[in-house]
Amino acid sequence: MSVPSVEHKPHHHIRTESLPGDTLKPRVVLVGNPNVGKSVVFNYLSGLYVDVSNFPGTTVEVAKASYLHYDLFDTPGVYGVSSFNDEERVARDIILNADIIVNIVDAVHLERDLFLTQQLIDMGKRVCVVVNMIDEAKKQKLAVDLATLEEELDVPVLGTVAIRKEGLDGIHALITRAREGRQREALHAELHRMLSVVGSQAEALLVLEGDPIVAARHGIAAADAARREEIYIDRRNRVNRIVHHVVKDVQTRKLLSTRIGRASVSPWFGFPILAFVLYLVYLFVGVFVAQDVVGVTEGDIGKGIVEFHIKEFVAAHAAVTVTATVLDDEDEVIEERAERFANGVRGEAHRWRSMRAWVAERPVEYDFVYENPWLVLFFGEFGAVTMTLTYLIFLLLPLVLGFYFALSVLEDSGYLPRLATLVDRTLRFVGLNGRAVIPLILGFGCVTMATITTRLLGTQREKTIATTILQLAIPCSAQLGVIAALLATAGVQATLIYTGVIFAFLVLVGTIMNRSLPGEISPLLIDLPAMRLPQMNNVMKKTGFKTWFFMKEASPWFFIGALAVSILQVTGALVHIMDALQPLVTGWLQLPREAATAFVMGLVRRDFGAAGLYDLSLSPYQTVAALVTITLFVPCVASLMVMLKERGLREGMIIWVGSLVLAIGIGGVVSQVLL
Amino acid sequence: MMLNHLAKGLRARITALPDGEIRSQFIRLGLVEGAEVRCMDRLPGGTIIVEFCRQEIALSGELAASIAIDQL
Repeated sequence: MSVPSVEHKPHHHIRTESLPGDTLKPRVVLVGNPNVGKSVVFNYLSGLYVDVSNFPGTTVEVAKASYLHYDLFDTPGVYGVSSFNDEERVARDIILNADIIVNIVDAVHLERDLFLTQQLIDMGKRVCVVVNMIDEAKKQKLAVDLATLEEELDVPVLGTVAIRKEGLDGIHALITRAREGRQREALHAELHRMLSVVGSQAEALLVLEGDPIVAARHGIAAADAARREEIYIDRRNRVNRIVHHVVKDVQTRKLLSTRIGRASVSPWFGFPILAFVLYLVYLFVGVFVAQDVVGVTEGDIGKGIVEFHIKEFVAAHAAVTVTATVLDDEDEVIEERAERFANGVRGEAHRWRSMRAWVAERPVEYDFVYENPWLVLFFGEFGAVTMTLTYLIFLLLPLVLGFYFALSVLEDSGYLPRLATLVDRTLRFVGLNGRAVIPLILGFGCVTMATITTRLLGTQREKTIATTILQLAIPCSAQLGVIAALLATAGVQATLIYTGVIFAFLVLVGTIMNRSLPGEISPLLIDLPAMRLPQMNNVMKKTGFKTWFFMKEASPWFFIGALAVSILQVTGALVHIMDALQPLVTGWLQLPREAATAFVMGLVRRDFGAAGLYDLSLSPYQTVAALVTITLFVPCVASLMVMLKERGLREGMIIWVGSLVLAIGIGGVVSQVLL
Repeated sequence: MMLNHLAKGLRARITALPDGEIRSQFIRLGLVEGAEVRCMDRLPGGTIIVEFCRQEIALSGELAASIAIDQL
């Protein structure tokens, strides 16, 4: 290709489409590989008010904040700009619409990171570069010449140690100096010739690099893979040459990896370490949070104080029957007393006082049965308001905080990619890639939370398979405690059968989906970052944000679910449904008829479902059949709603109906075989 | 010889990469034809971890089986 003599005069490229929440402020976008410390810089610049939303048309989350007079955007960590997976597609579009790009790179891995830098420059964007982790470079005896780097790239460069906030005060000045960098003349000219067809130089480059989506937007065909390879190789060589001038290895190149980092992916120590880490997570979340903390928050504070006061307040002047059940230390009933207050507890205050006096200081449970159906609907036994409040704030919130905290620690310590590497081979059996381990682990906490997390999986295919497995086979923490207790009573053989059936089912579903869905499992190709002690500051902030956005997103669904069941109960429809299920429950599943109640309740709160079985004194085999059904059964209404939102109505309903059929079908098969 | 057969501790030079999008992903990371890698670990099931230019990169067995190398 001859080099045309096109004079490059200064010019402006037209601003293209809008981004979510668009204002007319200039957009600054943070771009960089995963693990370079991008989120630390983003947090530093954004302060407290961050808005996280879905990029339109995808389930990838985008963080946006205000920084001085700019709109600041964070992007998912990517190694290059293209359309290989969902994260790259989102990053690509945010980058295309950026006014200024702050590219963050790792001082220790410039050979790798500068590829993206050069690509951004080739796109003709205004770029500035933050070379982070210069302390690490020093530790590894690498001399990085930032001045030469600035000269070679022709964009401003700043050295930082973001995690210690060193150098970050220079970012403001850096951003104002951001400019177009040094590009290959021939390539630049070719991109310019395409400007009449595509909107911008950046889009022209992407089209030349074979991006089908950007090309389709302008009604042309993308260049072929050979062209992309040509451009990529040339860029690779340019970057290698730059690095050669900028980085000097003062001692022989040595991989600095901590003993722990090495051991954690070694064949001998890797798996024991993994087991240990999972055990720690279980101890922290499963025992400390789920049992101890929640015991206090849900039991003592939630039910004992908050719910009680709300119900008492509502009962002030309404007709109500109050039953006080006095318990002993083992939660066994000592005595019970019921009183009807035709004019409410404040209307007949003296009787209420005497009832309270009778209870004295003894542990007690109050049951308020209102006569007005509207009150029952919102404040009764399954009262939409009281139940949602207790569930969300006193049960779910501590649990979600705990899980996200554990996840953030794993993430910031650099362990997560190692975890994904270790389990990758195993997860292939169920049609998933190593990184799916995160939503699967979270599923044991809350399937709703895990379903939302499937967003971080790269392809639609993976998201579908992971969501199906979550909804079908993973019991959430609400159920786990009760399931464990029931299995303990049922004995070892029952436990083995139960675990075996669920596990086999998991593998079967994963394999079938893997075969039938188009596409393949993304091959594992990940960079293992150095392991380090997580920064508590960062971890706390991350945990706080993720929890806040989850609660904001999921709360309405929990409320709707509770309301729906409450309506069913008040109208009497619940009883009809349970009667309709009788033949299935007693005939096919061979369980007592009350089990139907447990199943329906499981829709609202999974622990109600499992707990309902507790009172039925089932035989060991009956327990297995019931538990298999309940585990495979669709999880609570909230996770159903979130699944419909994430996967869409059609796919979501297929999964839901499928799980219903499978749960009852397999539960019944197990029952018929065993009993 | 293919990368998935490289024994632990040994070095090799990459001679051929597989076609497709994955090829571009390799080029971005710097793993091009002529690049030198060293095998750090091999996990049961085929997953292999290589050292390349101060990076530790984990690859699935299938991917490693599609990369041709010359042992050094």
